[in-house]
Amino acid sequence: MAADLAATVGAGGSAGTVSTHAACRSRVIQAVGLSKHYGRTTAVDDLSFEVRSGLVTGFLGPNGSGKSTTMRMIMGLDRPDAGSVTVDGRPFHALPWPLREVGALLEARAVHPGRSARNHLVSLAQTNAIPKARVDEVLDQVGLTSVAHKRVGKFSLGMNQRLGIASALLGDPEVLLFDEPINGLDPEGILWVRNLLKALAAEGRTIFVSSHLMSEMALTATDLVVIGRGRLLADTTVAEFISSNTEATVLVRSPEEGRLADALTRAGRGGSVRRGEAGGLLVTGASPAEIGDVAHTEGIALHELSPQHASLEEVFMELTSEAVDYHGSPSAGSVG
Amino acid sequence: MTVLETSFPSTDPGRAGLRLSLLSEWTKVRSVRSTWISLIVIVVAGVGLSALVSNVEAGRWASLGVVDRAQFDPVRFSQTGEFISQFVVGVLGALVVTSEYGTGSIRTTLATVPRRTTVLAAKGMVLAAVVFVVTEVTAFASFFVGQAVLSAHGGRTLPAGSTIVTQVTSSAIPVFGITHAGAARAVFLCGVYLSLLSLVAFGFGFVLRHTAGAISSFVGVLLVLPLIVQVLPSGIADPIEKYLPSNLGLAMIVVTTRKTDFAGVLMTPWMAAATLLGYTAVVVALGAWLLARRDA
Repeated sequence: MAADLAATVGAGGSAGTVSTHAACRSRVIQAVGLSKHYGRTTAVDDLSFEVRSGLVTGFLGPNGSGKSTTMRMIMGLDRPDAGSVTVDGRPFHALPWPLREVGALLEARAVHPGRSARNHLVSLAQTNAIPKARVDEVLDQVGLTSVAHKRVGKFSLGMNQRLGIASALLGDPEVLLFDEPINGLDPEGILWVRNLLKALAAEGRTIFVSSHLMSEMALTATDLVVIGRGRLLADTTVAEFISSNTEATVLVRSPEEGRLADALTRAGRGGSVRRGEAGGLLVTGASPAEIGDVAHTEGIALHELSPQHASLEEVFMELTSEAVDYHGSPSAGSVG
Repeated sequence: MTVLETSFPSTDPGRAGLRLSLLSEWTKVRSVRSTWISLIVIVVAGVGLSALVSNVEAGRWASLGVVDRAQFDPVRFSQTGEFISQFVVGVLGALVVTSEYGTGSIRTTLATVPRRTTVLAAKGMVLAAVVFVVTEVTAFASFFVGQAVLSAHGGRTLPAGSTIVTQVTSSAIPVFGITHAGAARAVFLCGVYLSLLSLVAFGFGFVLRHTAGAISSFVGVLLVLPLIVQVLPSGIADPIEKYLPSNLGLAMIVVTTRKTDFAGVLMTPWMAAATLLGYTAVVVALGAWLLARRDA
């Protein structure tokens, strides 16, 4: 299964390919033209995307970009002003056993502080006819068995986060939504969530996880849905996202940087040559081998020749800062 | 990774409906301390105030004139705790809803049971059932405790079929039996009054979605509204007065087989109960309509 998925991911180049694969699978989240306004504020603007099964799909956007609103619309909690979103082809409220199909961690602190962790989970389990044995199972899975009978009000944020994850896992659902699951977790907790998400996806489940931490998504997600100001900026894979949004840059250091720059410009490969902030030359449009050849021909010594990889964080910052620019004036808020 | 002891596939027949939500809401209600504290206050206030007030009134009997004796109401004395309990059930009814809005867990609830009217119905039925059982038990216990206190002061049970008027010239304090005209009805309706009030506060909870807002609105209707009506010109106030929820409660609990200064001011007990039921239905329906319409 995992190997098959990896092949799928590797082949999933364009958005068209992605949707073809998604259509083959049984459980997907499908959003079409979702829009949501709160008063004059546009939270989500004509958002369409798909979440494929068996993968971790990262839902990225800066704070306030509409991620939580979108999650609430998927769960049938907020009503879209336009568009629709379905889980496995049906709107959320049409699912006969919602907890057995979709598990969600939306707000970690959303538990009555006076209730014990176990009673909280039992009350949720009962709504979907889930046996109490399963409650103890998920408590064990998230490591809260020893505090199962403690009042939730005494829990730390990390313990609350684990309880929220336990409630999402309760129905053994095929589809899981996590809104900022690593918020407030210590490094150990972050690692635990990271591994849990991967393990759940490896079991063939559909994982949709939001974050404003791009570096975190680079470690856990395969697919990416990126939004800024409520609009879709990218619906792609992590690998595709990085390569299509950055030019390959090569850092070159040489005692004769002025002459090398002239030579590279004369060689005319359609790229650019500029001075790096920390010294050296940053060259685009030419591979390290080509640069080395030019230097050799000109008889220039090279002290460093290294390809630079943009991190997901850098790519994301660049993308969303553009989105912010585009949507800077209120008049530009129309559907495009 | 996960070894399931039991399976619960999403293809099972049936759905997450009302019966299961009732179980869940029952778990929620009994798993927080505030419920138990509220219920204990209702029982203690009911029985305790019945004993206290009956004791005080028993001591006054000898010094009362004939007119005052005609208004002596041993049933009403035994239900004095109702005045405190109405606020307790109000807080309980509001909290069942607003504690979920306060913590955000209403979204967890609605994500497990997306049919919102099912959630409201389950919550309301569990609340009403819990309040009804406790307030009825308290009302009847208070009645018997109150009559026992009067008997201990040399009270004498009214002969069957007679009213308090036949005993105004006697030195013996009148004591009601539960089978006396109006007694069982008044005691029973005390529990009904409190149960309906808890549902009014419950409805306010869904309308306002805020603990302080729901409770203060509830207290406003019970305490502040009568004060406002009082300062109105009597031509306006008099026809309104009997419709006030607090006066509906009075009408339901008072034994009106006698001529009193309430006669004509209050509705008949069953009419008052029906009117309060109407108010409750309106508030809960408004809450249900808003719950279905609004974002959670």
